[in-house]
Amino acid sequence: MMRMVVVRLALTIPILLGVSLVAFVLMRALPGDFAQASAGTSTISAAALEQIRVNLGLDRPIWEQYLRWLGNALTGDLGRSFASKRPIAGELFPRLAVTAELTLIAGAMALAMGVSTGLASARLRGRTDWMVRGWNSLLLAVPNFVIATLIVLLFGLYFPTIGIFNYVAFATDPLGNLASLLLPALSLSLSVSVTISENTRAAVLEVSSQDYVMVARAKGLHARTILGNYLVRNALTPVITVAGLQAAAMLGGSILIETIFTIPGMGQYLFESVGNRDYPAIQGIVLVAATIVLLMNVLVDIAYARVDARVSYD
Amino acid sequence: MTIGLAMFAALVLVVLLGPLLAPYSPSKTSPDSLAGPSAAHWLGTDSIGRDVLSRLIVGGRGTLLITFVAVALALAVGLVLGLVSGYVGGRVDVVIMRVLDVVFAFPVFLLAIAVVAALGPTLRNLILTIAIVYTPTLARVVRGPVLSVKRWDHVEAARSVGVGEFAIALRHVLPMVISPILVQTSLTLANTIFTVTALSFLGLGPPPPDPNWGSMLADARQFMELAPLTVIGPAAAIVFASLTFIVLANGLREMLDVQGR
Repeated sequence: MMRMVVVRLALTIPILLGVSLVAFVLMRALPGDFAQASAGTSTISAAALEQIRVNLGLDRPIWEQYLRWLGNALTGDLGRSFASKRPIAGELFPRLAVTAELTLIAGAMALAMGVSTGLASARLRGRTDWMVRGWNSLLLAVPNFVIATLIVLLFGLYFPTIGIFNYVAFATDPLGNLASLLLPALSLSLSVSVTISENTRAAVLEVSSQDYVMVARAKGLHARTILGNYLVRNALTPVITVAGLQAAAMLGGSILIETIFTIPGMGQYLFESVGNRDYPAIQGIVLVAATIVLLMNVLVDIAYARVDARVSYD
Repeated sequence: MTIGLAMFAALVLVVLLGPLLAPYSPSKTSPDSLAGPSAAHWLGTDSIGRDVLSRLIVGGRGTLLITFVAVALALAVGLVLGLVSGYVGGRVDVVIMRVLDVVFAFPVFLLAIAVVAALGPTLRNLILTIAIVYTPTLARVVRGPVLSVKRWDHVEAARSVGVGEFAIALRHVLPMVISPILVQTSLTLANTIFTVTALSFLGLGPPPPDPNWGSMLADARQFMELAPLTVIGPAAAIVFASLTFIVLANGLREMLDVQGR
């Protein structure tokens, strides 16, 4: 087990290096000039521009710039924002916490909706199955930002007294904070619930046809015991894997949802940084987000191997 | 399948005939702004009095053209990479797949935003971005089945009668893996509709004045309580287009008997 964890982590390192290289090159290979974007204006004297270039280390060879940037990033220093001139790490991590909370709530909602509809679909079959699958196909076609916009429209038209744009920080009012994240999390969770629902349905159907379930039924166990101890427990393993892999989709979706509901998370930070041409901030966000997704994938793999003894990575 | 094809035909018609179908010019303003539906303006008008239906049709043409061109590009590159990677194997396979793994490690939408932000939001860059983010998925879908098909007997038979490797790959391997590619292409089209409209929604789409479903939705949010149709129109159009490709993918999967994801 320990060996597998180490091997899996070691395999991730080259990919992480590649990710950091892409994040770096993307922002340095700009059509606009990096130093000019830093100055924030195009009317600047050549001497001043040269000074900025030296200050930012842009006069050094590109590989040296990359190594320095990577080294700093490893120690938690993502550079300074062009827009606010403050360290990016200090701005990014509090916002990351907000996004993490939003994603967690959305994930829990998606899991609850997906598992229950998938289970109902596989166990009840017939009309329920047909309805769940139709609902899923429809949900899959509605992008999360469209759902969010429609929710905002609905509340604006019919419940204008409920403030849906009032994000409350967790530290000031934990309950209010939860309440203010419910609708954004709902918009984020719907399309993810479809994936979970379909996988739950497939997994339950597969487990139902296994011999040990037939044996359990033959020896007269209650339907409820079979459902709880045999079906759900065994079917849930692949479902949890899928749910973990959906983290990437939710991180991407949070950019739109946070912008629509004005939640001060990482997604909104990225949106602002793009608007401000704040390239170091974009670099930092991309690097951090991709790292999180990669680590999530490793965790999912490890959890999978832990639960299923047949999986080995040797 | 029939339903999917019919919906698809409707989309293609809009792309081909767009400006001919639209009752007004999409940029023609009129004094009655935010008007409700009427005989003259079926879906009402937007905040500066432009006809919503006309903008939906012409905007759909833009959105769908970007989608088709970008996915065609991703498919072409993904097909070549996947075929080469799976068929040649060995070190070539390792290098190609590792590079694609790196692109794969980014959340799609995040990568799309970063690339568009770096290159600048023009039509060409938007197409390029979407092609880049969806190439790895398509390459993987091609590579998987190629790995097993290349060991089949008919490939060995072709090789033994002296058919060249290039011809084998094209004529004896590629046709055997076409079904999963068709299904995945259809799903990618649905995902691309999402990405294109979402980028435009954030203001990173093709620059104005070209109408686009995503930017229409974003613009309409300001006045949506006064004219709900300006929001519902583009929202319905986006849903219709993605639904088309999802229904099409499901139909193809059943017809061609492709295993689930």
